[in-house]
Amino acid sequence: MEKDAGSLIQNNSSKSAVVRRILITGICAAAILGLPLVVQNTYYIGIANFMIIYTILCMGLNLILGYTGLLSLGHAAFYGIGGYVTAILMTRHGFSFLPALLISGILAMIFGMILGIPTRKVRGDYFCLLTIAFGEIFRLVAQAWIPFTGGAMGIVAIPIPKIFNWVIRSEVDFYYLGLILVGFTWLSLTLLIGSRFGRAFVAIREDDLAASVMGINTPMYKILAFSIGSFYAGLAGSYLAVYQTTITPSSFRLEESCLMIIMVIVGGMGGMLAPISGVIIMTLATEAFRSLAEYRMLIIGVIMVVVLLFRPQGLFGTAAFKD
Amino acid sequence: MLIEVLIVGVMVGAIYSLVTIGYSMVYGILKLMNFAHGDVYIFGALLCYTLLAQFHLNAILAVVLAAVAGGLLASLVEFIAYRRLRAAQHRMISMITALGAAYVIQNSSELKWGNQVQSFPSLFPADHIVIMGSQVSVTHIFTLIIAVVVIVAFNLFLKYHKAGKAILCVSEDIPTSSLMGIPINKTISVVYFLGGVFGVLGGVLYSASYNAISISMGFRGTIIAFTAAVIGGIGSMGGALIGGMILGLSENLISVYVSSSYKDPITFLILIGILLIRPTGILGRTEAGKV
Repeated sequence: MEKDAGSLIQNNSSKSAVVRRILITGICAAAILGLPLVVQNTYYIGIANFMIIYTILCMGLNLILGYTGLLSLGHAAFYGIGGYVTAILMTRHGFSFLPALLISGILAMIFGMILGIPTRKVRGDYFCLLTIAFGEIFRLVAQAWIPFTGGAMGIVAIPIPKIFNWVIRSEVDFYYLGLILVGFTWLSLTLLIGSRFGRAFVAIREDDLAASVMGINTPMYKILAFSIGSFYAGLAGSYLAVYQTTITPSSFRLEESCLMIIMVIVGGMGGMLAPISGVIIMTLATEAFRSLAEYRMLIIGVIMVVVLLFRPQGLFGTAAFKD
Repeated sequence: MLIEVLIVGVMVGAIYSLVTIGYSMVYGILKLMNFAHGDVYIFGALLCYTLLAQFHLNAILAVVLAAVAGGLLASLVEFIAYRRLRAAQHRMISMITALGAAYVIQNSSELKWGNQVQSFPSLFPADHIVIMGSQVSVTHIFTLIIAVVVIVAFNLFLKYHKAGKAILCVSEDIPTSSLMGIPINKTISVVYFLGGVFGVLGGVLYSASYNAISISMGFRGTIIAFTAAVIGGIGSMGGALIGGMILGLSENLISVYVSSSYKDPITFLILIGILLIRPTGILGRTEAGKV
């Protein structure tokens, strides 16, 4: 907290730092926006699109894990809820993409709220277990409830999304759609963290008990963090549905939740942009070993152990785990 | 029909108790969710499968070898992934390394044995005996007896053997035990070793009674052990027994009378229910939070 506040004040006071910051941001933004012009290979754009999905997921998860310290291993379920809601609305009820996206986010948020309520009573490890159970129930029900979710085969032929006159068809189109979603996520979360709510989240991150003594309604904020984080997961799922045009339960296994957690941890919890580095590193690591696909979980497992043994605060993180 | 279901349920329950005991013991001592537990047990069971099916070893020898290998693997995981973190700032850290270790073991076993369901050889004769008018397979009876004998023997070990008493002391209070001259690291290694051994025994009995084994049973085993331990009261031996029995019976009743594809979701629902209503479990003690 002190560190954050300190660095903010510093940035405000010294102009050169502000200029440098704007410059770096500008260059990064230009590089990200111009990427499809330079990289013509759609395979690489596809990798970037998956990074975008994980960025949205991890930014939301970071609010849960990094700010309120709740270890949720059920994040893939909210991602899945978003995916299935969009798939069902667009294939069976003729919804267009934008309303489906919004409803996906909101439904995921409602489920997040429901799962967040027990944080009042269930703590620590037990809460983690609860999220695992929720995630597995979601996946198993998606697998078993064939008339509604299509079972293990999932839902296929999700229509091509269209926003006003923009038909989103190619990898590059999806890249820009994803960037819009990331921009929205980043902007809304930055506004949130800067607000009164955000300061409460930071206080909870620093010291749960002290925050509650200061009159912050910690259970309410935890539920809030959980529902907001889930909302973004719902958006990511909706994007995945239209991007892949199919949705299957196997995309939402516990491993996905673990991967998101480890992305957030590798990048560093608690910062706004730090998880992105985790997303990039983990995606590149798993892509680099694509020819060794059967070693994927082995590699992820080793990274999980090694990072936490030697650098639990992540590569760029400010907040380490606290009790 | 009902009696058969109940007998199978009790047998499965006994196996689950066996798997849960090791898990619950670890939790009782270190307050660590050992995610690798199920993967260790499936590794041992798969090893036993190879020893039996490929090397045609004597059944008892194969089971013993596999159980020892599982135990060693469990202590190795403790040594590499958990020991350094015991004094760590936050328990979540070791939880995540535990998950990482689980994936490493799971993926390595998958590379060796693949992810298909394989048929596990029977360990007992395929006879039936008649109890109260229903046919009961000898395998089920033997499995039940072995599980019960192991659980009783382990309880006696805890109560009367020096090393067993040391385990109980360490689970009460690590710093005090260390002041009393109990070798903490050694005791914890023993706990993990025994946890692995019981897990593999449970895994072998389970695979043998269903004649099937696959890698996906590993994660399921972890969750079953979690759930049973939480239902009964985590860290308690009697609780592990009760939790295992409840799960074994409910699972069999559900798969016979409802549908086997909803067996696992309902297990998870039971877990959520228990966590919400009584997070300390049936026999668990409530611990006061420290500031």
